[in-house]
This record gives sequence, structure tokens and C-alpha cells, in this order.
Amino acid sequence: MEKYLYITLFAPLLGSLIAALFAAQKKMLFTGIITSILIGISFLSSVILLNYIDGDTILHVKMMDWISAGNIDIPFGFVVDQVSVIMMVTVTLVSTVVHVYSIGYMEHDKSFNRFFSYLSAFVFSMLILVMSDNFAGLFIGWEGVGLCSWLLIGFWYHKHSASWAANEAFIMNRIADLGMLMGLFLIYWKVGSLQYDIVFANIVNLDVTTLTWIGVFLFIGAMGKSAQFPLHTWLADAMEGPTPVSALIHAATMVTAGVYLVIRAGEIYALIPEVGYVIASLGAFVAVFAASMALVNRDLKRIIAYSTLSQLGYMFVAAGLGAYWIALFHLMTHAFFKSLLFLGAGNVMHAMNDELDIKKMGGLYDSMKATAILMTLASIALAGIYPFAGFFSKDKILEVAFNHEAYLLWFALFIGAALTAFYSFRLVMLVFFGEKVHKKLGFHPHEVQPFVIYALTPLALLAIVAGFFEHSFHAFVTDLLKDYEFTLDHSIALILIFATSAVALSGIGFAVYKYSRGGFSESWEKKGIYKLLINQYYIPKFYELTIQKPLYNLSKFAWQKIDLKIVDATVDMIARVLYGTGDTARKIQSGNLSSMLRWMVAGVAILLVLAIFIRPMV
Amino acid sequence: MNHILTLIVFFPIVAGIFAFLVHPKSVRVFGISVATIEFILSIILWLGFDANTSGIQFVEYIPLISQFGMSYYLGVDGISLFLVILSTFMTMVALIAVSIKTDIKNLVIAVLFLETTMVGVFLSLDIILFYLFWEASLVPMLYIIGAWGSERRIYAAIKFFLYTFAGSVLMLVGILYMGYLFYEATGMWSFAITDWYQMALPFGTQLWLFGAFFLAFAIKVPMFPFHTWLPYAHGQAPTIGSVILAAVLLKMGTYGFVRFSLPLFPDASIYFMIPIAIIAVIMVIYAAMVAYAQEDMKQVIAYSSISHMGIIILGTFAMNAEGITGSIFLMISHGIVSGALFMLVGVIYDRRHTKMMSQFGGLASVMPTFATIYGIMLMASVGLPLTIGFVGEFLSLMGFYRIDWVITLFAGTGIILGALYMLTLYKRSFFGEVTNEENRSLKDLNGKELSALIPLVILVVLLGVYPKPILGPIDLSVKKMIQTMDNKVVTKEAKDLIYKANSIGGGE
Repeated sequence: MEKYLYITLFAPLLGSLIAALFAAQKKMLFTGIITSILIGISFLSSVILLNYIDGDTILHVKMMDWISAGNIDIPFGFVVDQVSVIMMVTVTLVSTVVHVYSIGYMEHDKSFNRFFSYLSAFVFSMLILVMSDNFAGLFIGWEGVGLCSWLLIGFWYHKHSASWAANEAFIMNRIADLGMLMGLFLIYWKVGSLQYDIVFANIVNLDVTTLTWIGVFLFIGAMGKSAQFPLHTWLADAMEGPTPVSALIHAATMVTAGVYLVIRAGEIYALIPEVGYVIASLGAFVAVFAASMALVNRDLKRIIAYSTLSQLGYMFVAAGLGAYWIALFHLMTHAFFKSLLFLGAGNVMHAMNDELDIKKMGGLYDSMKATAILMTLASIALAGIYPFAGFFSKDKILEVAFNHEAYLLWFALFIGAALTAFYSFRLVMLVFFGEKVHKKLGFHPHEVQPFVIYALTPLALLAIVAGFFEHSFHAFVTDLLKDYEFTLDHSIALILIFATSAVALSGIGFAVYKYSRGGFSESWEKKGIYKLLINQYYIPKFYELTIQKPLYNLSKFAWQKIDLKIVDATVDMIARVLYGTGDTARKIQSGNLSSMLRWMVAGVAILLVLAIFIRPMV
Repeated sequence: MNHILTLIVFFPIVAGIFAFLVHPKSVRVFGISVATIEFILSIILWLGFDANTSGIQFVEYIPLISQFGMSYYLGVDGISLFLVILSTFMTMVALIAVSIKTDIKNLVIAVLFLETTMVGVFLSLDIILFYLFWEASLVPMLYIIGAWGSERRIYAAIKFFLYTFAGSVLMLVGILYMGYLFYEATGMWSFAITDWYQMALPFGTQLWLFGAFFLAFAIKVPMFPFHTWLPYAHGQAPTIGSVILAAVLLKMGTYGFVRFSLPLFPDASIYFMIPIAIIAVIMVIYAAMVAYAQEDMKQVIAYSSISHMGIIILGTFAMNAEGITGSIFLMISHGIVSGALFMLVGVIYDRRHTKMMSQFGGLASVMPTFATIYGIMLMASVGLPLTIGFVGEFLSLMGFYRIDWVITLFAGTGIILGALYMLTLYKRSFFGEVTNEENRSLKDLNGKELSALIPLVILVVLLGVYPKPILGPIDLSVKKMIQTMDNKVVTKEAKDLIYKANSIGGGE
């Protein structure tokens, strides 16, 4: 079985390297095909592993040593267990679809080969992240996906906004990574190892304060990758990257790495429920906060990005409250329907010549039926309507919140569900139905090639049926993860399900009703609340004014005032004083006999005084 | 193999003397050949090196002035081995990449002389010998900066020379006093470092001696606030000067801390640990911010060197095997990465005769190979895992975490600020549209540049993925050194700290 592990892991790397060989050359179709095939192979072998893993058998290999110094010993070790195999299958499945899709999407891009090289490198890093058997290995993947994300957001590097967004994402993630590193250090110095199995076997011996710090540090790391408040601004800006990237990295996989970390470190978080509760609260806040920004935005991709943020909030609520398997389940179903939604958006963008303003679209259903149907399916799944995938996973999270008697969190998620339904269908209505604004603007939309649509069908299928695997999924992953005990009365649970479904349906209904009648009037755009939301609560502006600019000014100050005017000037001054003294003293050596005699007398006098009064070493 | 160290130390200088006879047209090839042979010699040394012994190997000992205990005493252990290889390797690569045409003969000779002094510093076990090489290394560098530098080269060269020279004088006083103390204690003179390791000093004396050595090392590193010679030296030096300066010369200072300050004055080192760590943190943050404010590409890298040296200092003063091993590894990796970055700046300077970032933009589309290699080095510089930069940084920070987590947290901001200035540099120079017409026709890397840079790229990845061959011997020698320290500390606080720094678990 080990060979399947290595195939899963290294097939994407091989693909990436092959494509990299031709990175600087003109488009070659085969780089796209070969990377897709290799990712497909990776997917198949992870499916084989999925079948192989059960309650008693997991796969744990040590490939080779990496870092060892002092007492620390970090290997390249990989583990395929119930959690990582789920992640592997999800990641490789979505990646395969995205690769195939990209062959069509990037058709006319001159850096076609480079794109596939980066994309496969990303998959490799993500697999390292989920398959490592220790925290340091996870950190390799963690930084690796960060690098690939930087490369891919800034893929069209000639655009200022793209390279800016890439840097923003990287730097913001680095802030969080520092927290994560601190967590790693603390774990090491308390346990003496970074291997998951050793750490989890020994954490019960640690005191609560230490555990709390570990939990906090690791979660800071998770906040960066999963773009939780206040490190969330990079995700929306990351939409500058090509759309397949947004689908794969910024919706389905990389941004869920933070959730994965919390699930993986569940044994730590289970011992510190207070930290878990804080995580859940932040998650619930982000769920509503991000959804509110999605309500008004006009940018097709940004709306979906905010929706991703919001759904990540849902996952953190589940993970924070200890319902790890539910968090993982939502992570998986979300990966399917959200990447579908993004890839659909990519089709729309192509049809609209990269126009992103949904107010300029409308009525696209007539020109691109397949995409419209797929995106509507994905939106229904996202809204959480029975029997679509989102219903099963999202409803469970609300139940968990209620079960935990965290009614405020539940209420936030409940509101979030209504908002989600509304903004999803606002998008669908504005893009595919209603008045054909794009006609007036001179667009001639057309459907994408059939193979692109076919590539999307697996995702669509899963968005519909994935929910029905709930019980087998539960049985499978709770072999490893702590199960979550529902103490909720069955009838109450049923009421909750109805309530949530009702609120989601009414959200959809309201959006359909409103936008089939021309939507909200322009006067709304004058209101304060609209301005607040469209400007993302002025947070990016706030960061710019309070962090970015002051930091730059302070840096300038440090260089021009402190370094040059104080530190260096002091050094030069000392040199000048020495030189000046010498220059002055030089006059003593004038060659004038009488003045030199005078100096000699003075010197003799000083020597005599010294000889009389100072007598060392007697 | 009996005299391989002597061979390694003196081969370049002897070859350098012969270089006077070589025709100027072929002197470049001559220089590269000598440097290559020297590099091969150092690799042979590595192959012959027993990686399972922590002690000093290949010892050569010839008394010179025996009545004063001065001797010709060379030896190598895990700590110095890789610094020697780094010196020979970077000299070779820098000579391959050299693009200077004027007075090339003198340049090659100066570089070969410099190589001898660098290798000599790392291999000397007699401290007088060490001091000779230490000071002698200033002369060729003074000449390189002063003769082939830019407009303000004389100012920069003299500043570099006088500043570092002034710092070393106090060290000489310290050395002599230490020798006298040894004489008082044992009745005979010795300047052999291995003899000194055996001698425990009273706490008060340690403080003074530590101080005397500190200034010399601190200026060389350079530590804040003694760093201002460095930006001038880098700003004015020709590419080869910057490469060797950043890659090797700075490491002499940190090597000095590891080889002398820590094992000779363990109590004082521990006593000053926190103040020095705070200076290190200031170096990391302050230099990173100053780097961020720069307009000149080369100055960014110069200041980033200071920032990285801060992490090295921090790791060295962690007093545990993780931190010290990490800091020595970081010396190696920083040598390779900063050397490569200076070389890359040299590449663009040769083409455009400017280093100002505002003059560039969009280079990624004009010079894709250059941009790729620059990108790899940049990622190594910001310490991405699986590049060489990560290993040392991770271990250094991890080591110091045991001592104080708040200081580590602040020093850790270096990874954020490092990303900030490096990515800003990259964005301004490589991304965007080509705005300056002069950049549109720039040629990508040529064969000569590639042959210098590709080995560096390979090393950056190879040692990032598999650092063990280097980490292993370093770690062994470092553990022995910590044992030495533990044996000779005189204060209980220091003893406790060494114990705490090297043990897992327990309360804070």
C-alpha cells in the first residue's frame, strides 16, 4: 500500500516539474494534459487508499530524515488515516477537475505551461500538508501552499493589482505563520517531539496554561490560512488570480487548511474547551460578517470569496465546539459545491470577456444554459436546501451550536443561513435571469467548450448527493476523531431543521422575488449601511492607514533619521574628533626649536608628577 | 592527509604569488582553477572528516615561539569544517561570476590572498595565529573595495578597515591578558584554544574578557549599533567584494562568538545573554525596517544581512544544541543565499549600471531565468521550508524559545518583515509592465552567470530538503562544546541555565 501513498504524493510533483521544464516556452497542450493525468492518477490512488483504510489499518511511513539537531528529530513522515485520506481524496478530486477545466480556461494564455506547473506544485504542497505525520511537515506544506498561492494570485504579474494582492496574501499569512511557529516551539519544548502520535499521547500531562497557549498559537496560524477576522482581507483581494486558482486554492483546499489543523489537533483542543469556544465564536462572527459583505458586492468572484469566508466560519464553529467530524464533513461538501460555483463563475467571465460586475450581466441563461444550471445547483447546495450536500453538513453545524446551548452562536449561524441563501440567489438572478444588461453593453456571451462542462459534472453530482454519505462518513472518520454526542431531543432537532430550511428558502424566495422585479432601487446605494458593507467595513482602509503607511514612514524614519543621522553620524563624529585632535596636535611638531623646548619642559613636568604620585606594581 | 589543513590554508596565497607571473589575459582562468582546486581540497577534507567524532581532527601542531606558547596550530571540527567549505566554495563561485575587466590580475590575486586569510581564521586553533589571519583579512578587502568600488569607494573602504580594525585592538588586549592568566594559573604560556578551554575563570574576569572580545566580534557581525560600515562597504564594493563580504567575512564574527566567547567565558555569556538577545532583536527588526525603506536593491540585501545575522546571534546565545547548531547552519545558508543575491544584483548592475528599483519593473517578462533564480533565492532568504534558509532560522528561533518566548516572538517578526521587504523588492523590480524602455532589450543570464548561479540554486534546494550531512557533524561538535561549557561554569545560575536550556519539559 505504501506505493499508493507515494504515488498520490509525488505524481503531482512530477507533473509540476515536467510542466516547469517548458515554463518559459509557448503554450504546449501536453503540459496541461500530462499534469491532469498525473493528478488523476494521484486521485485514483488516494481512492484506493480510502478503500484500504479502516478502523484498524492506517498507513504510516517514514520516508527519510529531515532535520535533527539537539534533541529534535524531524523526519519526512507521512500518515494516511481516516482524516488525511478524506482530505487527500477531496483535494485530488477537486484538483483533477480544476486541471481539466484549466486546459480550457487558460487556452489562450501565453503562460499556459507555467500555470500548470504552479497548479500541480500547489497540489503537491497541499498533499504534504494533509499527509505529514508531524507538525513540522505540516508546516512545510503550509508554507508551500502559501508560496504557490503567491505565485498563482500574482500569475498575471503585469497587473499591479495582482502582484499587490499576491504580496498581501503572503505577508498576511506570514503573520499567522509566526503564531504557528511559536506553537510548534512550545510543543517541542514541552513534549520533546513534533510527531502527532507522540504529542497527542503526552499532552494530557501538560498543564492547562501551556495547553491554552499551544491552542492559541496554533489557531493564530489557522486564522491566516483560513482568512479569519482580522486576517481576512487577503482572501477577497486574492480573486485577482485566474479563476481556476480561486476555485481550487481560495475555496476548496488551501483556505480549509486552518480547519484541518484544528481538526488534526483536536486532541489538544478537546482539553481546552474555552479556547474552542472562542474559536467557535469567532467563526460565527465571521459567518455573518462575511455574508453581510457578500450582500452588496457587485464583483462576481468577490461575492463567492466572501461566501467562502462565511462558510469557513461555519466550519470553525463546528471544530471549535468539538464536532470535528462535522467540520470535516462540511469542509468536504463545501469543497465540492464551492469549487463548482467558482468554475461556473469562470465560464461566465469567459463569456463576458473577463467582466466581473454582475450588474452588467443579466439574462445569461439563454446563452449558457449548462453553466447556469450548474451554478444554480451549486447555489442551492450552498444555501443548504434538502437534499443537496450543503443541507446535511450545514444543518448539523447549527444543531451542534444549539446542542451546546450556545444559542447566540446558533442565532448568528441561523441569520448567516438566511443571508447565504439570499446573496447566492441574488448572484444567480443578476447573472442568469432578468434584463439582459450585457446586450446593451455590447457583449456576445457564448457557452464554453463541452469538455469543460463535462469536467464539472462530477462536482455537480457530488454537490447533489454527497450529503447522503453522512452516516458512512461519520462511522469512518470517528474511528480516529472524537465523536460528538448529541443530547438534543429528536423533535427539537427536527424543528431546528425545519426552521433553518424555512429561513434559507425564504432567503432564496426573497432574492428571486426582488430581483425578478428589477432589484433594489439605486437609492439604497446612498445609505450608510450600503457604504459600510461595500467598503468592507472600511477595514482595508483602516489597515492601510494604521499599519501599512505608518510602518513605511517609520521605516523611512529609521533609515534616514536614526541610521544615517544618529548611528552613523556618531561613528563619523568619533572619527572626525580623532582626526581633528591629530590635526591640532600636529602643530606641536612645528620644527621650531624654542617651541619644542617648551613642550619638552611641559612633558618632563608631567612625567615627574606621574612618577611621584602614581606607583603601580610596587 | 597529514598536512591537508596547511595545504588548504596556504595553497591560495602561494598560487596568488605565482599569479603575478601569469599573463593578464589568462589570469581569470588561473584564478578560477586555483579556487576550484582549493574547493576540491576542502571537499577532500570533508570526505576524510570522521563525522562520528565530535573532537578536533587533522590537527597540525608546530611550536613557533615556545617560550611564549605561540604555535602553528591548526585543526578542524564540525563547527569550522563547513565554514571552510563555504569560504572555498563562495570564492570559487564569485570568481567564476566576476565580470570586472580592469586590473583583473590584481583582483584575482587579492581574492586569493583573501581566501587564505578566511580559511586561516576558521582553521586556526592558536589564538595568536587566529588574530593574524583575522586582521590580515582586512587588507585584501580594503583593496578590493578601494580599487574596484563605485564613487565613494575610498570612504567606504577606509571606514570598513578602521572600524573593524579598531574593534579588534581591544580583542588583542584581551588575548594577551588571557594568555597571562593562563601563565599565572599553570606556570607556562599557551595560546592554544584547546588549552584555554580547560581553564575555568572567575566570574569577574570573565566579564571583562568577554567584553574585550565582544567588541571585535560585534563590529564584524555587525551588530547594532556597530553596523553602519556595512551598508557603505556593500554599496561601494564590486560584486565579488560584496559576495565574499556577506558570505564569509561576516561569519567570522559569529564564528568568534561560538569558538571563543561561549566556551571560554560561559558564565559571562550567560550573564549577558538577555542584553545580547535584545540587541539581536533590535538588529532583526530595525535592519528589516531600514531594508524596507531602501530604494537601492543592493542596500536592501545589505540590510537584510544584518537582520539575518540577528537571528544567528540569537541562536548562538540560546545555549542549547538546537539553537547553536541552527545558528551555524544559518551562517552557511546565509552565506550561500546572500552571496547569490549579491551576485544577482551584480548581474543587473552589469547590464543597466544602476541598482535603483525604480529604474526597473517588469523584468520577469524580459529576463525569465534571472527572475526565476532571483525568486528562488528570495524564498530561501525569507526562510521557506525545503529551502536552505528555513532550517537554520527554525532551529535558531526554536533554540531561543527555550530561554525566552517573548524575545523569540519579537525576533520571529523577522520572518514577516523579511517577506515584506523582499516581496516589495521583487514586485517593484520584476512585476508590472516594463516601463523603462532601456529594460526592454535586456539579455537574460549568460552561460558564465548561469554556471555560477546554478550550483547555488542546487545547494539551496538540496540542503533545504536534506540538511543532515551538514547538521550532523555540526550538532556533534556543538554538543561537545556545550559539555565543555557545562564543565567549566563557575556560577550556579549559569549551570542551571545550561541545564534548563538543554532539557525538555518542566515548569517555566
